[in-house]
Amino acid sequence: MASRAETPTLSYRSDWRRGRVTSWLTTVDHKRIGILYICTALVFFAAGGLLALLIRSQLATPDESIVTRGSYNEVVTIHGTTMIFLVIVPILAGFGNYLVPLMIGARDMAFPRLNALSYWLYVLGGAILYLSFLAKGGAASSGWTSYAPLSTLHSPGRGEDLWILSLHVLTLSSLAGGVNFVVTITNMRARGMTWMRMPLFVWSILLYAWMLVLVLPTLSAGLTMMLLDRHAGTHFFDPAHGGSPILYQNVFWFFGHPEVYIMILPAMGIVSEIIPVFARKPIFGYKAVVFSTVAIGLLAFLVWGHHMFAVGLPTRLDSFFMVSSMVIAVPTGVKIFNWLATLWRGNISFDTPMLWAIGFIALFTIGGLSGIFLAAFPVDWELTQTDFVVAHLHYVLFGGSMFGIFGGLYYWWPKMFGRILDERLGKLHYWFVFVGFNLTFFPMHMLGLLGMPRRVYTYSEGGLWETYNLISTIGSFVMAVGMIIFVVNIVRTARSGRRAGNDPWHADTLEWYATSPPPPWNFDRIPYIISPRPLRDLRRRLAHEGRL
Amino acid sequence: MCAGALTLGGAALAGNGGFLPVAPHSPNAHRIKDAYVLILIFTGVIFVGVEGALVAFVIRYRRGKRPRDAEGPQIHGSSRLEVLWTVLPVVILAAIGSYVFYKLPGIANPPAASAADQTTITVEGRQFYWMFRYPNGAISVGTMIAPANEVVRENVVSPANDVIHSWWIPALGGKIDAIPGRTNHTWFEAPAGVYAARCSDLCGIQHAKMLATVDVVPASSYEAFISARARAASGIALGKEEYSHVCATCHRLDSNYVGPSLGSDPLLTEATGLETILRQGVGNMPAVGSDWSNAQIEALVTYTKTLAKGGSGEPG
Repeated sequence: MASRAETPTLSYRSDWRRGRVTSWLTTVDHKRIGILYICTALVFFAAGGLLALLIRSQLATPDESIVTRGSYNEVVTIHGTTMIFLVIVPILAGFGNYLVPLMIGARDMAFPRLNALSYWLYVLGGAILYLSFLAKGGAASSGWTSYAPLSTLHSPGRGEDLWILSLHVLTLSSLAGGVNFVVTITNMRARGMTWMRMPLFVWSILLYAWMLVLVLPTLSAGLTMMLLDRHAGTHFFDPAHGGSPILYQNVFWFFGHPEVYIMILPAMGIVSEIIPVFARKPIFGYKAVVFSTVAIGLLAFLVWGHHMFAVGLPTRLDSFFMVSSMVIAVPTGVKIFNWLATLWRGNISFDTPMLWAIGFIALFTIGGLSGIFLAAFPVDWELTQTDFVVAHLHYVLFGGSMFGIFGGLYYWWPKMFGRILDERLGKLHYWFVFVGFNLTFFPMHMLGLLGMPRRVYTYSEGGLWETYNLISTIGSFVMAVGMIIFVVNIVRTARSGRRAGNDPWHADTLEWYATSPPPPWNFDRIPYIISPRPLRDLRRRLAHEGRL
Repeated sequence: MCAGALTLGGAALAGNGGFLPVAPHSPNAHRIKDAYVLILIFTGVIFVGVEGALVAFVIRYRRGKRPRDAEGPQIHGSSRLEVLWTVLPVVILAAIGSYVFYKLPGIANPPAASAADQTTITVEGRQFYWMFRYPNGAISVGTMIAPANEVVRENVVSPANDVIHSWWIPALGGKIDAIPGRTNHTWFEAPAGVYAARCSDLCGIQHAKMLATVDVVPASSYEAFISARARAASGIALGKEEYSHVCATCHRLDSNYVGPSLGSDPLLTEATGLETILRQGVGNMPAVGSDWSNAQIEALVTYTKTLAKGGSGEPG
């Protein structure tokens, strides 16, 4: 075309696609897609958080009547589904999108258009889930696990169908995203960046992506069987016609447990990036951290049965899953010990990203240890399906994943937007959430031991049940205050935040070599990589040559 | 704040405060608690070690007056330490695992007992009530009567047209799911007493209200109860239990609740219509009595007729 010769730069873009809004709607730039992912996930985080506040309000005192029965079950179901499928998994995809090409010295993801498709499928899946509140019979209400036959033969509303549709769409989104990450990381690393010189966050995204690619088809199959049972007269999970409800649980947890590691590994990757930078030391045991990531990724496929100890599996199966679940604690422990050793003799600065990373270690440790109780299956018989499990999973996915994610937001915000988030508000945000988190979730361990099941909309017991539930509810609102401070921080930083420069934290990895924010092409030139810390190598060379 | 924490701590110590499982009253529950305590000790030590090291390092190696980008020693790792903190957790976990396996037979398997010293009760989970079938064919709903100091084996089931429930008596051992199309087993051996039980797996809108009571009574009282119940299989006592635990979970006599008010419902006295609804369900109401015997239906009608005559209707 003639016009192409006349306007040499980015001429393949027609005018309408260069508008302020349309350029975002049509973007295939990994950085913009990453930011879209992150912002969308934060909106869903707010929605899922509001649902959580509803749950806590209802449980604040005995025999409360704020959201009860069917509505409560809808709220619980959509809260869980939101936080897992619309917040943690996609926000990690957002970090991966933004950072992987920058960290490995690539100009974009391997398949930019597929990347945009992943994002828009995610938006579609989220919209379906939230619009399902308007469906006949309300939203899905059989829990984020949607056990059959409750979800198949006993959930006549359309909400369950829309839940299935939403997850089908989200599955496609993550599958495409996973393939994209695997191909990008495998093929597009800068010259000199061998596997053992790759940033730990990129390693964690590689495992995240491989696991998504391997387990999502299982979820899709389970969802399809569920849909067929509901509408096509099949009986996969219907015991009256020879089907098995336990089949559903096997299929679901074969996906569901790797999913937990899908949500935690990249958060561990973020923590592994932050701690060395703010301790001014290299990560202790780089190889051990890499191998533990890979080991967790592999072992994650062998532990699903520990969600099914109360099903009445044969003792030998229970025993196998107990041992495998304990084995996976070992590489997890290796990570924690290596982070501690990285702090040892460091020069530790407590900027906000570091606070979240330290909080991650403190809280994830608790989540890991409570997991040992649940792995020991006779003890699990007493604890499973109670608030103890709710406490455990929130220490892992909130104290773990979300703390890592917030650390990552504070750490990379200056790279994404060119301005550093306000440190004073950031620390206030952190302390409100840290204190509120522990108030909310620690008492749930005790509630579970006292006999409070999860997913009940009410209880009549007074005494300690009432005390702990009230403390938990107060804690949830303390966290909510922290989140409001975060929003204020974002708004204030956007208006008058301090300019960041390329490398505000004196970091180690290649993304800080680009400007903040980076140009669409990322780098003008990329140095040859000789270690996992190319930026430090560069700073030392410049210092040596007297140019810094 | 400190005073508050002390008060709470005091209150917590008075019971076990939720730091230990509910006080056990059955050998399997005792052994579960033993395993719990062992894990609590090991994880407690690890917790103190890890969090202690974290806090110590954070304080000891804070930047203080050093320049921001002054580097710490560039230590890249230590194979010896990596081996140490791989092997040590393996040893600890092996210890925990061994102890669990040592306790396991006493938790999973009921002790050998002569036929006279044991009984088997079938526990049936339904939306949203628990029904108990005794060896002589007697039935109770909502309250299980069990003989004291005898091995009580429980067959835990749910009918094929129902959903998954989970049977849990916190003081008498762990949970076992009631799964349609499957029979699971558990047991207890408890002194006389009244124990709370409930469903612990989300089973629908009234899951939170799917409660039961386990009334452990002297063996002679147990025998007397089940023979009386078998003799009066369609008696008003069973009918009242059925009404309180099956109907009243979703219905009130004087107002709408989950379902419509029953106060002026002609079905209270109309056996055929009531039976149809119980056996087949209607609208959102599940077929709560799909597998009930005719005697059970009769028992319910006997009781509901008293309601229609102006009885209080509140579950006793």
